[in-house]
Amino acid sequence: MALYGAFFLYPVLMTFYNSFHTLRADFGFKTEFVGFANFAEILGEDVIFHRAVLNTLTWGVAAALLEILLGLALAVFLYFRVPLHRFFRVLWFTPVLMSYPVVGIIWLWYFNYDWGAINSLLRLVGLGAMAQSWLSTPATALPSLIVVTTWMWTGFNMVVLLAALHAIPQEYVDGARVDGAGFRQVVLSILVPLARPTIVNLMILSFIGKMKQFALVWVMTRGGPLWATETVATYVVKRAFHWRTFDLGYPSAIAVIWFVIVLALSLLLTRMLQRRELIQY
Amino acid sequence: MRGFRLGLVLTLLLLYTAWAVGPYLWTAVMSLRTTEEILRNHYGLPLPPHWEKFVEAWTRFGFDAYLRNSVVVTLGSIVIVTITGAMAAYAFGRPRYAFRGREPLFVLIFLSIMFPPQIMLLALFQLLAKYGLINSRLGLILVYAAAELPFTVYLLRAFFAQIPVEIEDAARVDGCSHWTVFWRIMTPIAWPAITTTIILNFILFWNEFTYAVVLITEQKSRTLPLAVMFLLGETFVDVGMLATGMMISTLPVIVLYVFLSEWFVKGMTMGAMKG
Repeated sequence: MALYGAFFLYPVLMTFYNSFHTLRADFGFKTEFVGFANFAEILGEDVIFHRAVLNTLTWGVAAALLEILLGLALAVFLYFRVPLHRFFRVLWFTPVLMSYPVVGIIWLWYFNYDWGAINSLLRLVGLGAMAQSWLSTPATALPSLIVVTTWMWTGFNMVVLLAALHAIPQEYVDGARVDGAGFRQVVLSILVPLARPTIVNLMILSFIGKMKQFALVWVMTRGGPLWATETVATYVVKRAFHWRTFDLGYPSAIAVIWFVIVLALSLLLTRMLQRRELIQY
Repeated sequence: MRGFRLGLVLTLLLLYTAWAVGPYLWTAVMSLRTTEEILRNHYGLPLPPHWEKFVEAWTRFGFDAYLRNSVVVTLGSIVIVTITGAMAAYAFGRPRYAFRGREPLFVLIFLSIMFPPQIMLLALFQLLAKYGLINSRLGLILVYAAAELPFTVYLLRAFFAQIPVEIEDAARVDGCSHWTVFWRIMTPIAWPAITTTIILNFILFWNEFTYAVVLITEQKSRTLPLAVMFLLGETFVDVGMLATGMMISTLPVIVLYVFLSEWFVKGMTMGAMKG
């Protein structure tokens, strides 16, 4: 029996191991060449890196909150089977199905100063004074990108949350209804608390996703204007392939530091959110 | 009063729908208009529709090759990641296979979900260059499969762990080997969850950009997301053709999703995403 188990497990784990470890085998010996000088420079002097960290964190927190709150609201409506709910569910998910270049280009057009939909709409309702070049003004560039990721990922969170809501036993909701609970009470004191583990997971997932954000920025702004939308990921790639420093050590060091930061934050976030959960019950 | 509130909610939801779908519809309309028409009026209707632009994308802009690349890479990586992922998740999820060091190993896999891909990008570039896999579909397939393996295992493990031990025991009493239990009994039970991961991975692989932009440097090896990106990159932006390219690169997934969305939601509801 034990032999059989080993024979079954071994190939499974080997397959798994191989595809998993080849990735970073190379990485291990590269850091050895780097030394600690890079780390000191990044943490101490690299102003662009600091800016990139700030941007990325802002993005992570803001987008995680927006996407999930909006997704939750939409999921609740679908849960109560508003008319057309099947139709809505499919349509709301479509932004998730597009690649970042496609999303990026569509929104480049949307934000276009002369003929983009946003400015056209503002001019149409007489707010033409508010029309501006959203992506090339430092103050609005990052918020604009956050709007785009929210547009893209709300549908995904909505579908996952809807699944979580459906997994809640129907009797709880019915029972509360019989006891005279209104719509608001059912949502706030039954559905949301019971879906909490999923909400927490999604928040962490969404946060981590934003920590890796690269493609959208690359297509839409390349980190500009004036580093306003630089993320750590775009900075790493710029340093590695575009600044012609031909030094892969420095960007690798950034990546390592970033991984440690993200890991620490994710663990902290998990702890915090889960502890609050304990107090609640 | 009730009718009024329902009306209000529906209006809000329809507004949200317009916001969610509007950008794509606009692109769809533009994909049927020529660039001159679009530059004259960005919000006009496609009258008459220029279907020949799709033919042109195919013959003049090489979208036949890009589509083929995308299909091969996506399907190839899905096959690998699904089979290895399901097996690994099975080993991680079932109490029978609680070997030493299983938990630390799983934590390691979980952590790798958090890895910024850029960490691996530089190393991967060197590695693939060494084996001549830059610009190759095989190279991309291997990279994609490896990159999504942790998440696939993470999702499927939760599902395999839920299946009662009794089912497995009964099968073993009836003389099934480990392989038979896995293939004939566990896989069919877990099928909804597996379909969910297949759909999820399909979306991810089809749209993948970060790895592709670094690991593919030749024109003929580009996948659809890269093709779209490079249409933008030229000095004169051919808005109409760009929209057509974008439609070609998104339509397959959207059609697929519309047909499979019931399955997708079902698999999720059955616990695939509870973690």
